[in-house]
Amino acid sequence: MAQPLPRTEPLPDAALIAAWQGGDEQAAAELVERHARPLARYLAGAGAPDAELDDLVQDTFIRAFRSVDRFRGQCQFRTWLLTIGGNVLKDFGRRTSRRKVMPLDEGVRDVRGDPHEHAVASEAEALLARGLKQLPRLQREVFLLRAQHGLEYEEIAAALATTSGAARVHYHHAVRRLKEIVTDE
Amino acid sequence: MNEDRLNEVARRLGAKAAERLDVAETARRVVARLREEPAQPAGVVWIHQTWVRIAATVVVLVGGSVALGVLSPSLGPRGGTHAAHLVADDLNDLSTDELRDMLTSFDEIVTDSVAVPESGDLRELDARDLRAVLRDLEG
Repeated sequence: MAQPLPRTEPLPDAALIAAWQGGDEQAAAELVERHARPLARYLAGAGAPDAELDDLVQDTFIRAFRSVDRFRGQCQFRTWLLTIGGNVLKDFGRRTSRRKVMPLDEGVRDVRGDPHEHAVASEAEALLARGLKQLPRLQREVFLLRAQHGLEYEEIAAALATTSGAARVHYHHAVRRLKEIVTDE
Repeated sequence: MNEDRLNEVARRLGAKAAERLDVAETARRVVARLREEPAQPAGVVWIHQTWVRIAATVVVLVGGSVALGVLSPSLGPRGGTHAAHLVADDLNDLSTDELRDMLTSFDEIVTDSVAVPESGDLRELDARDLRAVLRDLEG
């Protein structure tokens, strides 16, 4: 195992990736600690059941670290990781296609603060979660990358190997469909 | 729910589930798995996946051609060949206007709605973007 890098301040992702490639396990752990929660939010938003979230996050990191040689800095490491998470979730869905995936309602419930405000907020999140599950995968992923993680179209396009114009169209189609779905419910 | 509200709700989506995640424990498990589970050589995975895809494509193309031949015997072998032609191959031959028309038609078929998105208007896209959207939709 390689010696961990001496740390005085947080290292950029690229340095941690290089350190991991050199055998530094602490660098891998730091990348996990840095990106696990945003990845979990993305997976939960994309329909991952609460009970499986930890395993799906782990699987995503394992797949990412195993194929990190293919990451060429075309986008941020986190964006690349989120797209791998989408693939891991797709594979999980295939394996469990006969099992009903749990809705996100449990995951978005909050017991602090004004109960009425939280009830309204939770209802909106549950509605959106149900709407997202009805979208084609690409529209769902583009919407989450843009709306949930605030990424620019150029960044989304680089991660999904498409153009920024195409990403913009997928996003707006997703918004239109979500408005229709939410209005219908 | 308007677009701003959708974005606001999306930003909160999954936050509670993510907060419950024990990131230090997750990191420990990931490192342990990386150490314990031997990596399959990337080349083997790639070759395996590629062969599966090739086999699946051949099955779909041959099956589709046979089915088309049975359903429409008058088309003959030329019809079967045409059915096996990938849509993406044709995209390079289309003009920007033709691509836009095709995408609008596709959108109407899929969503059963004539309106195109306001700020994602297809008229704003160039031929490269339109091809990318169509290829994305084709998968």
